[in-house]
Amino acid sequence: MPDLPNREPAKAAQAKIVGNAQAVRRFDVPVVVDAAKCVSGCHICVESCPVDCLAIDLATSKATMKHDDCWYCLACEIDCPNDAITVKIPVLLR
Amino acid sequence: MDDTIISADIVVVGGGSAGCTAAIRAQEALPKGRVVLLEKANIKRSGAIAIGMDGLNNAIIPGHATPEQYVREITMANDGIVNQRAIWEYAVNSWPMLQQLDAWGVKFQKTASGDFDVKQVHHNGRYVLPMPEGYDLKKILTRQIRRAGVQVVNRIMGTRLLVEESGGQRRIAGVLGLDVRSGAFAIIRAKAVILACGASGRLGLPASGYLFGTYENPANAGDGYSLAYHAGAELTGIECFQINPLIKDYNGPACAYVTGPLGGHTVNALGHRFIKSDYWSGQMMLEFYKELHSQRGPVYLKLDHLAGETITEIERVLHRTERPSRGRFHAGRGHSYANDLVEMHISEIGLCSGHSGSGVWINERAETTLAGLYAAGDMASVPHNYLLGALTYGKIAAGHALDYIASKDVAGAGAETASFSEAIDAERARVLAPLARTDGIPPHQLEYKIRRLVNDYLQPPKTATRYERGLLHFARTAEELGQLGASNPHELMRAAECGFILDCAVMAAKSSLYRTESRWGLYHYRLDYPERDDARWFVHVNLHRGKDGTMQFLERPVAPYVVPVSDSELHSYSQLRIAEPANT
Ligand SMILES: Cc1cc2nc3c(=O)[nH]c(=O)nc-3n(C[C@H](O)[C@H](O)[C@H](O)COP(=O)(O)OP(=O)(O)OC[C@H]3O[C@@H](n4cnc5c(N)ncnc54)[C@H](O)[C@@H]3O)c2cc1C
Ligand code: SF4
Ligand code: SF4
Repeated sequence: MPDLPNREPAKAAQAKIVGNAQAVRRFDVPVVVDAAKCVSGCHICVESCPVDCLAIDLATSKATMKHDDCWYCLACEIDCPNDAITVKIPVLLR
Repeated sequence: MDDTIISADIVVVGGGSAGCTAAIRAQEALPKGRVVLLEKANIKRSGAIAIGMDGLNNAIIPGHATPEQYVREITMANDGIVNQRAIWEYAVNSWPMLQQLDAWGVKFQKTASGDFDVKQVHHNGRYVLPMPEGYDLKKILTRQIRRAGVQVVNRIMGTRLLVEESGGQRRIAGVLGLDVRSGAFAIIRAKAVILACGASGRLGLPASGYLFGTYENPANAGDGYSLAYHAGAELTGIECFQINPLIKDYNGPACAYVTGPLGGHTVNALGHRFIKSDYWSGQMMLEFYKELHSQRGPVYLKLDHLAGETITEIERVLHRTERPSRGRFHAGRGHSYANDLVEMHISEIGLCSGHSGSGVWINERAETTLAGLYAAGDMASVPHNYLLGALTYGKIAAGHALDYIASKDVAGAGAETASFSEAIDAERARVLAPLARTDGIPPHQLEYKIRRLVNDYLQPPKTATRYERGLLHFARTAEELGQLGASNPHELMRAAECGFILDCAVMAAKSSLYRTESRWGLYHYRLDYPERDDARWFVHVNLHRGKDGTMQFLERPVAPYVVPVSDSELHSYSQLRIAEPANT
């Protein structure tokens, strides 16, 4: 068998200049919204969040946790007029 | 997209505790003036007091404590490196602030005779005033903001300050920022700016690995430290880190100030007390650290010896206010205060004068070293200033900013916005750049890396070799900031925050290297310089961004004390340990 060529110098140089590639990953998020209780068009929880991680899902018009940035502060849960939100402790801490 | 353009007499950046009182005070004095409160979140639930607070840690109430006592205690807790005048200004103005809060409807614990029910937690004096029903604090402040007629601009984050330079003089000219919902760039012109952006709370990485599992409200990413630094203002004591004793994994307070007066206390694995005072000081943290890493670790908060009704009372406070989700954290693990010890650990590092002593250098008028720029709260250098300190200093800052804008050379319009076009264009390009990099590095990954490096290299105890290695890694990571990509305005905010966090990491590393002694217990514990060296280091270490863009250090003398403190008192916080009984 021929020796495996050492391509490291060339590939290492290339690794420094090629662009980046991405993959999508699922996350377990702490904020659970009960869609049956959430009232379309209400934005209260979205405005309460100090880290802006909630949003209204355009397809369903219901609140959802869009970014996994939660401080588990409970502001959204306390402020929701319909008790539609349950905040769980993020899985990494639980 | 068009820029958002706002102009104001005074702009307050950050609508948490200090920002709210600053804006109210300024608007009340300027009924026809324009006071703008800029907030990256929404003031109704932003900042450390999003769900209120369960007590004031440093109330100086006539009949219970005096300003002299308080100034002396905080001087001792900071190993003497303080500007006493700034603490004194807080001490004498805090009582009127407290009475104002009482009048606004904030609920404090009172005795049957209607007196404030003050408790002792500090080593010496009595300053802790419980607020068992303090959960509405932010709502109350928000109501006062509306009543005063302040123009509130939510969801815009300041990213840099605008500075006017003419004839060798520099003064503040406004704030540049990002609308974190629309992605629009914002230009806010003002004659005076009050920074109240809170702590650098997203510096170290929580042991859980969860980026937002911080003690501080994670919206406070060190924005204020970075804003002031890039504007050329001085910062001080950055080597005096914030490290807190927290519920392990939950990473929030337990909270010994609530439970202590009711009989709770910290114990080691043998069930023994090992610290005389649960008040958070660097010296106390060093004992905590040693105990955790000894054969007597881990460390717990002990409540299981308390009567049932006391535990119910503790739960009523701790599970409704400040960080109420600690209740479901314990329940999720099947734990209760009645049956289980609460396992504690020490947190990752942060910067926060509210708890320790690092911040933007201010004097007793809340002035920074840049004309027209004021700072208050957790990001300003008044040590151990906590909640009442933020509220009081917000007001102090506004008072002096009002005088400043009324002075004759500032009262005019200031330079045309067009004359700043170069700085504005550069900042717009910098802040929006990640949007164009569709395949750029996601901000959360780069943030994870920076903060993991902070843990690896900066978590005390400190050594020069580790810190210098850390700086090499930070320099490498700084290049990666230019590869960040964002697919929406939210990620654009996170990308800008990576820059704030990295700035704070570099300041923390360089300041710590500069001070070649140990001081403030664990906060600045150097294994290579383990002793406190008053002969050489009884000074403030300040830093600022020099004209050439590099970080410059200078030493400022400790100003003569207004309240005398004896040498032995200056060492009293070094004697917090309770010795183990001989037979164990
Ligand atoms: C969990 C916890 C428990 C505490 N317990 C107590 C206690 O029991 N007693 C006590 O006295 N003190 C306590 N403290 C300390 C006290 O709450 C703080 O010292 C005080 O609230 C700080 O006020 P601040 O205005 O400086 O910061 P904050 O109130 O945090 O406000 C900062 C504001 O600035 C905004 N902001 C940040 N960056 C930007 C930007 N770039 N642009 C625009 N806006 C921005 C943030 O969204 C936030 O609203 C506690 C703190 C925490 C976190
Ligand atoms: S506050 Fe409640 S009802 Fe309103 S959007 Fe949020 S979850 Fe829905
Ligand atoms: S718990 Fe707090 S941080 Fe988490 S989504 Fe709700 S409001 Fe936002």
